[in-house]
Amino acid sequence: ENFRTCDQSGFCKRHRNMQPGSSDYVVQASSLRLSKTSLMVDVLNTKNNVRFLLQVYGLQHGIFRVKLVEAEPIRQRYEIPIGVTLVAEPEQAELVYHGDSNGQLKFSLGDNQMLINSNPLRLDFLINNEPVSSVNAQGLLKFEHTREKRAAKEEEAGEGAEDEVGAENEEEKPSADVDDEGMWEETFKGFSDSKPNGPTSVGVDIAFPGFRYVYGIPEHADSFALKTTKSTDPYRMYNLDVFEYELYNPMALYGHIPFMVAHNDKHTVGVFFQNAAEGWIDIQSNIADKSVFSNLADFVTGNNDVPQTDTHWFFEDGIIDVFVLLGPSPKDVFKQYASLTGNTPLPPLWAIAYHQCRWNYNDQDDVRTVDQTMDKFDIPFDVIWLDIEHTDGKKYFTWDGSRFGDSVEMLRNLSSKGRKMVTIVDPHLKRDDNYEKYTDARSQGLLVKNKDGNDFDGWCWPGSSSWPDFLEPKVRKWWADQFSLEKYQGSANNLYVWNDMNEPSVFNSPEITFPKDVRHLSGVENREVHNIYGMLVHQATWDGLLKRSNYKERPFVLTRAFFAGSQRSGAVWTGDNMGEWSHLKMTVPMMLSLNLAGIHFSGADIGGFFKNPDSELIARWYQAAIFQPFFRAHAHIDTKRREPYLLPEEHMIVARDAIKKRYSYLPYWYQLFYESETTGMPPMRSLWMEFPSEANIFEKDDEFMTGNAILVKPVTEESQTSISVYFPGKDVVWYDIDSYESYSGQQEKIVQAPVSKLPAFQKGGTIVPRKMRGRRSASLTYNDPITLVVCLDKYGNADGQVYLDDYHSYEYRHGSYALTHLSFHNFKLENNILHIGKDFTTKEWVERIIVVGVNTEPKNIHLIDADHNKMDLGNRYDTQTKVLTIRKPGVNVAQKWIINLH
Amino acid sequence: VGRPKGVSLEKASFYVGTEFKCLSNGKTIPMEHVNDDYCDCEDGSDEPGTSACSNGLFYCENKPYKGTYIMSSRVNDGICDCCDGSDEYDGTISCENTCEKLFAEIRAQQEAFRKKQEEGYKVKLEYIQQGHRVKEEKRARLSELVKNKAALVEELDNLRAVKDEAEVPEKEAKDKHEEAWKAIKAERQKQRDAIAAAQAFAKLDSNQDNVVDFPELMKHKEFDIDSDGTVSEDEAREYLEDSEQTDLATFTEKIWPNIKEIFKLKNPEEVKEGEKSETAEDIHVEDGPPSPEVTDEQEAATPLDVSTDPDAITEGVADTAIPDEDRDKYYDEDDEDEEEDDYPGDDDEDDDDKVDVNEQQEKHKPEDEEEKMPEYSEETKLLIQAADEARKHYDEADEKVKDIEKEITGIEKYLEMDLGPQEEFSALKGQCFEFTDREYTYKFCPFDKTSQKPKGGGIETNLGTWGHWYGPEEDKYDSQKYENGQGCWNGPNRSCHVNFHCGAENILTGASEPSRCEYQFDFTTPARCSEPEPLPTHQVHEEL
Repeated sequence: ENFRTCDQSGFCKRHRNMQPGSSDYVVQASSLRLSKTSLMVDVLNTKNNVRFLLQVYGLQHGIFRVKLVEAEPIRQRYEIPIGVTLVAEPEQAELVYHGDSNGQLKFSLGDNQMLINSNPLRLDFLINNEPVSSVNAQGLLKFEHTREKRAAKEEEAGEGAEDEVGAENEEEKPSADVDDEGMWEETFKGFSDSKPNGPTSVGVDIAFPGFRYVYGIPEHADSFALKTTKSTDPYRMYNLDVFEYELYNPMALYGHIPFMVAHNDKHTVGVFFQNAAEGWIDIQSNIADKSVFSNLADFVTGNNDVPQTDTHWFFEDGIIDVFVLLGPSPKDVFKQYASLTGNTPLPPLWAIAYHQCRWNYNDQDDVRTVDQTMDKFDIPFDVIWLDIEHTDGKKYFTWDGSRFGDSVEMLRNLSSKGRKMVTIVDPHLKRDDNYEKYTDARSQGLLVKNKDGNDFDGWCWPGSSSWPDFLEPKVRKWWADQFSLEKYQGSANNLYVWNDMNEPSVFNSPEITFPKDVRHLSGVENREVHNIYGMLVHQATWDGLLKRSNYKERPFVLTRAFFAGSQRSGAVWTGDNMGEWSHLKMTVPMMLSLNLAGIHFSGADIGGFFKNPDSELIARWYQAAIFQPFFRAHAHIDTKRREPYLLPEEHMIVARDAIKKRYSYLPYWYQLFYESETTGMPPMRSLWMEFPSEANIFEKDDEFMTGNAILVKPVTEESQTSISVYFPGKDVVWYDIDSYESYSGQQEKIVQAPVSKLPAFQKGGTIVPRKMRGRRSASLTYNDPITLVVCLDKYGNADGQVYLDDYHSYEYRHGSYALTHLSFHNFKLENNILHIGKDFTTKEWVERIIVVGVNTEPKNIHLIDADHNKMDLGNRYDTQTKVLTIRKPGVNVAQKWIINLH
Repeated sequence: VGRPKGVSLEKASFYVGTEFKCLSNGKTIPMEHVNDDYCDCEDGSDEPGTSACSNGLFYCENKPYKGTYIMSSRVNDGICDCCDGSDEYDGTISCENTCEKLFAEIRAQQEAFRKKQEEGYKVKLEYIQQGHRVKEEKRARLSELVKNKAALVEELDNLRAVKDEAEVPEKEAKDKHEEAWKAIKAERQKQRDAIAAAQAFAKLDSNQDNVVDFPELMKHKEFDIDSDGTVSEDEAREYLEDSEQTDLATFTEKIWPNIKEIFKLKNPEEVKEGEKSETAEDIHVEDGPPSPEVTDEQEAATPLDVSTDPDAITEGVADTAIPDEDRDKYYDEDDEDEEEDDYPGDDDEDDDDKVDVNEQQEKHKPEDEEEKMPEYSEETKLLIQAADEARKHYDEADEKVKDIEKEITGIEKYLEMDLGPQEEFSALKGQCFEFTDREYTYKFCPFDKTSQKPKGGGIETNLGTWGHWYGPEEDKYDSQKYENGQGCWNGPNRSCHVNFHCGAENILTGASEPSRCEYQFDFTTPARCSEPEPLPTHQVHEEL
């Protein structure tokens, strides 16, 4: 294996081997210092007398921030600057101190409470006095203080002059001998890690009493509900380029977000552990880990199965900086998390349409042929992508002149149909004296250094390469400037960017990434900052595209590596998956985890990157992806061509219908992304996010919701023609999105699913906007009319929203948009304007209204428009399906109007 | 005149009156609902001039060029699809009428094509003649060969009879000679045995009473049948054929044949000799040429070590740091696979080496001069000579028959080959055509193979050998498939799809690899030109 197991990592072993028990860390309550919104108190490690500082801040929206740092560190420890993960300095809120009773300090923040137990240190968090989370309850806190190498040797020799050193020596002697080897130097697969700073790891346990399930901490190819790690390695968090990754495995992948959510039928809470170093997380559950023996023990001890999940987090470096998000609803937790790390900005409409990608489209002719053939087969698409082969010798920002001699012309041709192009720009620079980006970065001293202080030289696609140090603001600015049309020769305004290999991937290095002792320009080791490097790459790229349009147009950047905060400047895909049914199935849990952790604009390669999937699998994959946020087909260079028009006719039609269906739902998708930006709600949701108290669906990850309206059960098995669907929600009615056949909630039902059919259902009580005109690209639909699909609930009511703007610029941030609320109540459909920009106008009008679940045919229907004109409308009523189609209201979407059914 | 937008002249009659009937199901709607930007008919026929029906068609008149239908989703989408611009009428954009220009361009193209076609067709007619002629010639040759073959087979039969006849006395004489030699050898052996028996008898007869009895045998450990360390009375008696004793005559006749193997084994001199000869052979084998496996490894190592490919450095890294499986992804440059595909290790040579080894072993076998058969008699030699002569004649005739059969098979294969409905592709057989792009020279030898070779020199890669015609059912001769080319690293065997186009000359006009290891050639040839339509006497606008 290329990648470390916990056993091969010194600090992982040191933390994992700790046994629960009484902690050595004690709060010195007498030192308590209070401000209106925070507290500060001294903490002592009674074993080695090292002193720490505990700081707790009350934050807006119901968040506690807990920071534990060394009181007198020998060396500054890395803290992530504001603007990298945290979008801004979090706004503080009043923290009320209720006094100390028996060594327990009590605080409250709104409806939430925090208890600090002094001896040993322990923090309990409560919602309305009900405990939901507890830090260091198991006493696994371990903060490896900064130390000098010589001192450590002396400690080992037992010659410590100071008492505290002696104390540590005495206590830790038995294990110190064993650990010493890994503390100051470690080797893996023949690579040596010099570890000049010695052991610097931090770790602590966080318990969730009352919670059976925890979620999040992407990215792992594993189930949505996280598994106990009792008999596996912990979930690992270390951005890595993993070749042909395995499913149902806690190993690290390309990007990571140390954010976990616990959910039960009453509460939803979250924990965000802000740390950029390599991390591991152990998970134990008193229910999942229960053996027959402990069941008996419970019987004897009278334990009545209160579920609890215990998690144990440890990182190789940095500090302890934990945000406890106290919900209490899923919606609240997402809002809280977004208030810390930022929102997903509304993408331009084209970016949520269909992307046609392959490694590689060979030349301009190839691009033109794909463009024309898609049109010939009437398959819409908006973006065509170029992978690494388009460059001159893998020198990014250049073109292979013999294949792309006139890229501007190619871009213009695409633009004439409203289409865009995405080219790949990876962060490694070919070490070639004739490559201007490299020589420029080298002479300006912008490159990451090796441990000896020379420019780091590693291998990637171009061969010998160096990497700009994206941790430096001036490097990010330099990088951003490279995207101007003058600097990126042969580009155009409809060219956008894909950052791959930004973990970063280094072929000839340990674990295919930077050695940990690589130096950044500020002097920090990569060990301290590894997991934010990739995010800084795409942030800089994003800034470049912003600058290119003078901050007017919304950028699009796709990234493989990511971290908390990546959602602000990048879409994410799940990397190099495989063209296998199991990988199609895995897309749902992986994307649910990403969406839960703020990465809303995410997707998996349709068809699978490696291998040659058969056409049925490709067709099913297109279907499943309609309701997943980022919609791109991609394939490895060694695979057979598989543009949708190349599929056998039966499956070509399935793929085409799927793509067209995606286009028809773009108004709904767009509104979901608007909701994401404004509320932090993920567009792709697990069932429990919409039905939080339905305990039997907490583990379900083969179905999902897109927004609050669409339930999707993708078919992920070969030759399947029917499938069992669980319909959640007491008293909820669901309607098949094609046939409008109805199903009632809280039941499992077999539905027909021949290859042409994606089982998807609209929830009764919702209104979904669609556009049905089947244009070649999303850019050509801006003025097209809207169809409203109104699915009534049991009581004949429904609600929905429509969001409209210019679909590409930032004008909406200045209020130039329209948001309307649609409600159907008492046989009356009303469109109320929640917002309309002063100068905002749109040509979009209401083409038809489909009302589903109308039990009796209305005698007549009339419209009252904004000017109070009354007009009769035609309709068609299907007595079989109880679907009423109202013909051509013709009113503008961004105006107030009412339609009455009599 | 006055027909709704997007309706062609031929369909205009459906769009008159106060009501409209949806074309496919007859559903009736008021005429005002036609082109009112709302789709009422499932077949889209009520909205020929708008984008309201996703399955509708819009008719562009495209004057002065010919009218065409476009998908109605392309009406008023901001892109000019009809050359007359009639699909964009909502005022968002204005389209220039490019029909005239387009018409001229298309006419020029058609003209050019027609010229090419005329020229090509002339050549094709020659090809057809030539193809038929070749076929005729082949057929003629075939029947001639069949005839010749019959005669030759008859002659062969005669010669076989002659040979068989000559071999009968030859065999008799040889057999006789060999029998006699065998008898002599047997006699000599018998004498040697008697001497050995006498020597053994003398050795066993320890009391020298000219009788060997069981106590004497019991002194010799080799008679210990059950290997219990002692020779029992029963054991000794068994060797004496249940007698008390034996004299030399009986010993020689009855007992010695039974014990000579075990007794001989104990003869130190003879054992030594046997071991020696085995050892000699072992050494010989070890000294032989290197085994083919070793050769393969050496050959295999060579291309990777001395690559001049720019990616060679990358490969070096791969070898040290990246596990093999990762190379799939990381080192996937063109050409690498070719190096790995087949090593020029020469199996034939290896086989030759093996034969050499055997021959040498044969030669080294120790020959017992004493046991050499005497020469045949003069009379026998004459018989052998006569038989040799007959065999030679027979073999010569047999060779001729085989040659003729080979030629027949060749011609039959040719005649079976599909060279086009009129033999027009026959002219391409045996020729090769090349196309050179930035990196490679591609070679197309119709009905034989396709290949590519790096421009700067290097090993030719087989992209596929002749498979079959590959055009669609209604136009089979549209393309060809070449299959089972060199294997692709981590992929299928290479294959090549050759598209045939009409042209005045045979030219390989393009080569590409649209899918990994699936190549596509474009080839123009007169053989694909159909007869040009007769030119109309004067130009007519199609819409009139």
